[in-house]
Amino acid sequence: MVAKKLQENIKIDAELCTGCGRCSEVCPVNAIEGQQGKAQSVNAAKCVMCGQCVQICSGYDSPFEQYATSRSQRLQERNMPIVNEPLFAAYYHGDFFKVKKRLADKKQFSMVQCAPAVRVSLAEEFGMPLGSLVPGKMVAALKRLGFTRVYDTNFAADLTIMEEGSELVKRITEGGPLPMFTSCCPAWVKFVENEYPELIDHLSSCKSPQQMAGSMFKTYGAAVDGVDAQEVYSVAIMPCTCKKFEADRPEMKSSGFQDVDAVLTTRELAYLIKEASIDFNALPEESFDKPLGMYSGAGTIFGVTGGVMEAAIRTAYELITKEAIENVNITSARGEQGVRKVVLDTGSLKLKTVVVSGLKNVVPVLEEIKRGKTDFHFMEVMTCPAGCISGGGQPKMLLPVDGKRAYENRKASTYQHDEEQRYRKSHENPEIQEIYQKFLGEPLGHRSHKLLHTHYKPSR
Amino acid sequence: MNSFVLGDPKKCIGCRVCEVACAVAHLDTEIKTVGNMNFSLNPRLYLVKSHEITMPVQCRHCEDAPCLKSCPVSAIKKQSNRIVIDETGCIGCKSCMIACPFGAIELIFSHQESVGDGDLLQNEPEVIASKCDLCGGEPACVKACPREALQYVDMVKERTQRRIAAANKMGGFHNEFMVRE
Repeated sequence: MVAKKLQENIKIDAELCTGCGRCSEVCPVNAIEGQQGKAQSVNAAKCVMCGQCVQICSGYDSPFEQYATSRSQRLQERNMPIVNEPLFAAYYHGDFFKVKKRLADKKQFSMVQCAPAVRVSLAEEFGMPLGSLVPGKMVAALKRLGFTRVYDTNFAADLTIMEEGSELVKRITEGGPLPMFTSCCPAWVKFVENEYPELIDHLSSCKSPQQMAGSMFKTYGAAVDGVDAQEVYSVAIMPCTCKKFEADRPEMKSSGFQDVDAVLTTRELAYLIKEASIDFNALPEESFDKPLGMYSGAGTIFGVTGGVMEAAIRTAYELITKEAIENVNITSARGEQGVRKVVLDTGSLKLKTVVVSGLKNVVPVLEEIKRGKTDFHFMEVMTCPAGCISGGGQPKMLLPVDGKRAYENRKASTYQHDEEQRYRKSHENPEIQEIYQKFLGEPLGHRSHKLLHTHYKPSR
Repeated sequence: MNSFVLGDPKKCIGCRVCEVACAVAHLDTEIKTVGNMNFSLNPRLYLVKSHEITMPVQCRHCEDAPCLKSCPVSAIKKQSNRIVIDETGCIGCKSCMIACPFGAIELIFSHQESVGDGDLLQNEPEVIASKCDLCGGEPACVKACPREALQYVDMVKERTQRRIAAANKMGGFHNEFMVRE
C-alpha cells in the first residue's frame, strides 16, 4: 500500500491536460501514456519521478473555462497551501502541511539540510533574478521558520566523495564491477533497478548525499547536541521530486529511525517562507550550523551535471597519486553535451570517466556496457538535463525560453560559489576530517558501511 | 489595413504556451516563475479544443469592427493597424462581447494583486473588457509557440507578395494562352 502511494507521486490532472504531448517528449522513460489530444496519464511502474513533465507542462487552469473540480479541491489533491498561482496539469504531491505541522511544535528538535541546487534557485520565487546565489538568506529563512539546526547537504556531498572516491579506488585496485556508477540521483538509481537490473552491481553502494546527511543527523548530529535520535525531526530541502521517494525507501533507516523524515522541494520551501510572512529579500546573510553544515567547493558543484565527477577527481587524484592536483577546475567535466568523456592522467593510471546528463542519453552507454565494449572506470549520471539545478522541484518558469536562461544562471552561480569556498576539495573540509576522527573511523570502515552505504534491488 | 494573428489547426497541439505567453506579456510587472504569480493567467487568445479542431482564437482586428461600433462610451478605438480597448474608459458593459462574432473578447479584473501579499487589495478590482492588442507588432504568442502554429498576418504585405507570386506564375501561362489563340 505504501509502495503504491510512493509510485504515484507524479500525476497528470486529466481535467487540465489538453493532450499536447510535450511531457512525453521530455519524459526519459516513456512513462506518459495516452492518445494525442486526449488527457495523458503517468504509468507509475515506469516513472522515475524526475518531474520534468511538471516543469514543461503548460496546460493551466484557465479563468475563462469551467471545471467540475474546484480550485480548492485541486489544491487539496496536490497537498498545496492556499495560493493564487495558476495550476498546471502535471504535478507532484507535496509535503507542505506535514512539515508545517511539525515545525509548529516548538519543542521539536529539527534538523534541516539543503541541496546544493536550492541556493541558486530559491530566490527566483521571490522575484530576484534567475540563478541568484543566496545561501546566506536561505539559512536565515530556515532559522526563522524554526529549524533548530540548519545543516547542509553539501557537507554530506563531501562525505559522499570520501566514500565513493575510496570505493572507486578499491574497485580499480582490487577488482570490482567497473565502470562504477554514481548513486546520488534517485531517479537514475530507480531507472537501473527498473530497466537494467543486470547492471545493479555497477552502482556505487554509497547512499546519496541526502541520505548520508539523514543518517548523520540522527547519530553524530544528535550526539553533538545531546539529544536522542528519536527526538530529531530530519527535513531535506531538495530541487528534486524523486528525493521524496528516496527518503521513504524502507532501507533508509540506518540510524534506527527513518533517516530523512520529510522532503520539501525548492518550491515548497518558498511556500513556507511566504506563508510565514518572511520578507526573503530583506533577510540578512547567515551561516550554516557546524559541524554538519560546513562544506567545500567540491560539495556545492554536486548540483550541476559533471559536478560529482569533478569533485571525485579532485579527491581521487590525491588518493591515487598522494599528490595534490595541479588545477582543481576540471573543465572537461563541465559542459552541455549529453555524454562527455573525461580522462585524467594520474601517472600510474589513466582514469577514464564518463559524464551523462539526461537519462535518455545513458541508454546507448548502458547497452555498450552490457556488451562488454567499454573500458572506462567511472560514470556519473544525472536524470535531469543540466543536473539538479534543472530538477523537477525547482521553480517553474512561466515561459519555455526562461528555462534555458535559468539553467545557465544557476550553473554559473554554482561554479562561482565553488570558487568562493576556502576549501575546494572534499577531503580538506575540516569537519569531514573531524567526523572521521571522532566518529566514522575511515572511509569504507565498519561504521561507514552501516550508516553511509546501501543496497539495491531489481524492481522486476 | 489591420493586422491579426492566425492559428494553424494542422500545426497546433493545444499546449496553451501561447496563452501563458500572452498573459505574461500583459502583466504590469515582469514575472518569471509560477511561484511569483498571485493571480490567474489572463490571456487574450483562447484555445479551442473540440473533436474536430484544436487552435487558439483571437481578435481579427476587423476593418468594420462591430465591437468598436457597439461601445457606448467609445472605449474601443482604431490605432494604426489594430483595434484596441482603452481600459481606463471601459465600463464593463459587455456590448462588445455580444457584438464580436469571434468570441474574442473576455472580461478580466483590471487590478492585479501585488506579489506576496494576497489579501491586501487597496481597491476593489474593476472588471474590464480585454482582447488581443497585437503586443505592439511582435505578438508574444507567435514567438512562444513551440510548433510555429501561429502567424502574424500583415495583410498589406501578404497581399502584395501574393500578387507578385501570382503575376510570376500567370505571366508564363498567359503567354502560352495568347500564342495558342
